[in-house]
Amino acid sequence: MTREEILNSVQEIFRDVFDEEDLIVEESSNSDTIEDWDSLNHINLVSAIEMEFGLRFALGELTSLKDVGDMIDLMLKKLAK
Amino acid sequence: MNDYRFSDIHVGLEESFVTTVDDTMMQKFLDISGDNNPLHVHADYAKEKGFADKVVYGLLTSSFYSTLVGVYLPGKYCLLQGLNIQFSKPVFCGDTLKIIGKVSYINEAYKQIEIKARILNQKDQKVSRATIKVGVMDE
Repeated sequence: MTREEILNSVQEIFRDVFDEEDLIVEESSNSDTIEDWDSLNHINLVSAIEMEFGLRFALGELTSLKDVGDMIDLMLKKLAK
Repeated sequence: MNDYRFSDIHVGLEESFVTTVDDTMMQKFLDISGDNNPLHVHADYAKEKGFADKVVYGLLTSSFYSTLVGVYLPGKYCLLQGLNIQFSKPVFCGDTLKIIGKVSYINEAYKQIEIKARILNQKDQKVSRATIKVGVMDE
């Protein structure tokens, strides 16, 4: 998958989790720029991404992520394995 | 009360329990919620609308999803984090319900599990189904 394809899929997941069909997600999006991105929705996002892409994340991998772009970097790394 | 810890839980783990809805439960739910919609309160009105009797509150039957996770799966160490419910059939007073939940997904990083749950009546008809997200606390 390309980086753009992943971003598009991730955007659909965000729209579903936040129940906001017009939500635009960019690589710079983070919990400061998306209003409802609280700790519980963060867990829901990670679970939804794991299920959609067949990935598993360790807590240590997630704590250092600063924005969506960092998440995509991590996903690309895992998908390449 | 069950006390599954996160490490005890695996995909496919299933728990269930049985309960019967009665008028006392209906009255208590009315007292708590203030929902006096005639469909739930007046049998004659419900019958006029094509139901066999007054209809049990959907959120009363759904409260058993709380019991499912808080008492049975995982039980003691449960933190209910999300609930998505679909109602399929009406429930009436006197119905005996079986509430069943099965672990469908485990998020190892955040110790969250997803449970696919359903409620069957005494005729084995599904009256509702739910997807439940539950955090599992360390002891």
